[in-house]
Amino acid sequence: MKKLRLIGTIITTYLILTNPVDAEIKDVSAKITLANELYHEKNYQDAADIYTGLINQGETNGYLYYNLGNAHIRMGNLSTSIIYYLRAKKLLPRNANLQANLRYVISQTQDQLPLPKKAFITNILFWIESINLIEHYIILFLSNIIFWLICIGSLYYRKPPWHSMKKIALTILLLVFFSTVVKYHLLSTQKIGVILDEVVAVKSDRNNQNITLFELHEGAIVTVNEEDKDWVNISVDTDKVGWIAKKSIG
Amino acid sequence: MKYKPWLVISTIIAFIFSPTPSFSSSIQFSASVDKSHITTEESIELSIKISGIRNPPKPELPALPDFKVRSIGTHSSTQIINSEMNVSTVHKYLLIPKNKGNFTIDSISILLSGTIYKSEQISVIVNNSDTKNINPEREVYTETIISKKDPYINEQIVYTFKLFRKTEARNLKLSMPHDENFFQKENLGKAKRYSKVIGGIAYDVDEISVALFPKKVGKSTIPPSMMELDLIYRSQFNRQRDPFARFFNDPFFSSVTKKNHKILSTKPIALNIHPLPKEGKPNGFKNLVGQFDMIATIGKDHLDAGDTTTLTVTVSGIGNVTDTTFTNLKLDNQFKIYPDQPTFTKTIHGNQVGGEKVFKFALIPFSTGPQTIPSITLNYFDPDKKKYKKISTNPINIEVKPAIDNEHLNLVQPKATSSRQSISSVSVLARDILPIHTQTQDFESILLVKNKHIFFIIGIIAPVVIYLLAAGYIRYNHQMNDDISYSRRQVAHSNAMKKLNLLSTLNPGTKDFVKELSQIIREYIGDKLNLQGTAFTSKEVEEKLNKNTFAHEKTTAVKKLLEKCESMQYAPVTTNRDLGLIEETADLLMQLEKNL
Repeated sequence: MKKLRLIGTIITTYLILTNPVDAEIKDVSAKITLANELYHEKNYQDAADIYTGLINQGETNGYLYYNLGNAHIRMGNLSTSIIYYLRAKKLLPRNANLQANLRYVISQTQDQLPLPKKAFITNILFWIESINLIEHYIILFLSNIIFWLICIGSLYYRKPPWHSMKKIALTILLLVFFSTVVKYHLLSTQKIGVILDEVVAVKSDRNNQNITLFELHEGAIVTVNEEDKDWVNISVDTDKVGWIAKKSIG
Repeated sequence: MKYKPWLVISTIIAFIFSPTPSFSSSIQFSASVDKSHITTEESIELSIKISGIRNPPKPELPALPDFKVRSIGTHSSTQIINSEMNVSTVHKYLLIPKNKGNFTIDSISILLSGTIYKSEQISVIVNNSDTKNINPEREVYTETIISKKDPYINEQIVYTFKLFRKTEARNLKLSMPHDENFFQKENLGKAKRYSKVIGGIAYDVDEISVALFPKKVGKSTIPPSMMELDLIYRSQFNRQRDPFARFFNDPFFSSVTKKNHKILSTKPIALNIHPLPKEGKPNGFKNLVGQFDMIATIGKDHLDAGDTTTLTVTVSGIGNVTDTTFTNLKLDNQFKIYPDQPTFTKTIHGNQVGGEKVFKFALIPFSTGPQTIPSITLNYFDPDKKKYKKISTNPINIEVKPAIDNEHLNLVQPKATSSRQSISSVSVLARDILPIHTQTQDFESILLVKNKHIFFIIGIIAPVVIYLLAAGYIRYNHQMNDDISYSRRQVAHSNAMKKLNLLSTLNPGTKDFVKELSQIIREYIGDKLNLQGTAFTSKEVEEKLNKNTFAHEKTTAVKKLLEKCESMQYAPVTTNRDLGLIEETADLLMQLEKNL
């Protein structure tokens, strides 16, 4: 009898908790369907507005950014589309369509600058670029659960194979933890910017009176090193470094 | 006293490496040069000798603005003569004069064992190399040539450095400085080596050229180039009397080499850069200076609507070809244009740099029918003829047929050949972005993002909590199975209470009741203290409880209860009255449970 009551309580709680989420998902799905239809009808601006509205609502989804990038490239906004493709890439690192479109849009820019060089650590942790941060968290949680379950098994059975399994699980857990920390660090420190203006003069210091070191054009992808009030220190490759106005970069 | 090897080793190391004076000799410090009269083509070797101290610090050189200073090594020596140890260290520097004149090398100071030592000042006279009376038979000399001293801005000038030498030279080091703000430099390949007879004397000539493109108008100077080298002189010595001469009759074994370090510098060259003439300057001129050609070709001149064709424009010639750009092709009304990244191939024509820059444009016609790509023009300035020139490509005619199926979009279209060939001969006709993602289930935001706190608790904290609970339970189970005393202790109270409940059904005050009650108390104490059997007296119980530091009054209470049971058990008369023994026992067991 007690068990039946417990099951009933769980089901009721589940239904109460999940119903609003279902309704929210249906609402989001309807909006996306509408935006996709508008896109296919070549009404790119309205489609982009809906995608942007969903993003502003807090929907974090790589495909949303991808579609928004597509809408902007159809409207001829090279730099904006690159910005959204780069955001999508963080969430969909293995998506072939996204990579193809990003390559295409970069080839349409005047400077045709490739993505900034990857950090050295990614040569060792070779999988880090192919797995997004959320997937890292999921793998970390699963590794953690598996490790502690093996610990319980090891404590219960007290047999050598369980001890070996425990060591292997701990090694995997530590590796996944390290990989997650590195991924988080890279995402939070490595800032990429896209030039918004048609032509931007890169100055030697934070003033328009300074020497123009080189020029960048709309859509050029640069590494953002530092921000100082209205100016941003950017670099292209390792040898070209300079300052541009903050409003010129997105 | 305990022997401490680490202390001995560290003392020895500190002794060896610390700058301590030697035992026998006093500290001496001196500085000397190998020559005091030199020419600007020679160098001075400055030797700083420190003796009487082991591992001295490096001396501090005074400011020598008239010389380029280069360290050429340090050597230390230790001599033991008649049990007296002499240590000395010599630091050597090469001083290369920058100008002629009389110079003084100020005293060099060094701090040794708390005392500052100073060397004497050294005077050096540097004369110009005798350029007026050049010895026609000199061993080595240099020469620089500039192709034009009054070039136009962006015009290519060739700067050539030549080294003439009669003897073998090694360690050649050439410095050809130029003002980077004024000139853009392009290398003209590797150095050439050839022989040349001058005045009847054969010289080996090393020649290297660079192309310089002036970036600013005005007067500028190419600073002197400097060549450092070691001249090698080999002298044969007589081996006539040497019995082994026959076996070692080889220049390698029978010569002595002498090395002479030389610095040769050239004269600075003054240039006057002219601006390009304003007269006749065409609109949209892109600062191209040199001699150029241009051709344009089309990939396909017959194509279907929507198809693409490639327009290739090749600009080649001598000069700054790399600066060529085409920003406005004036084809926007006829074609959708996709420019490709231009490619540049550098070439050397004679002693001048040039190249070929190829521009490719993918063109998609807007309309069908005959189309004409108009001629493309390029303006440049010819410095030889001192006038602007215009080159053009020929107009190109193409035919655009109407598309068969306007709705069909082919991004990649294989050629209609055999299936095997089609794999390798796919030609890309146009490029476009891939379509949007439409599978709505993929748009549901990942639950983890929305409920990250719940997932954090489930993924990180919950496993640890579950483990701790499971570990406690498993440990308890293992202990219950493995440790009998522990398991007896754990179940003692519950067993005793169960038995007391059963006993309450019997008639109180009977001998069996009292016997059973006494047995329950004994069993409980036996379980708690892990005692074998129950055949122990009330006095033994008191002793056992006292051993376990049990409170005296409670021990006495247990003893009294057991004695009471014993007295009732062995009394001749039974009372058949409930004396509250069960309650008393239950209370007592409860108190014992709290303490045991």
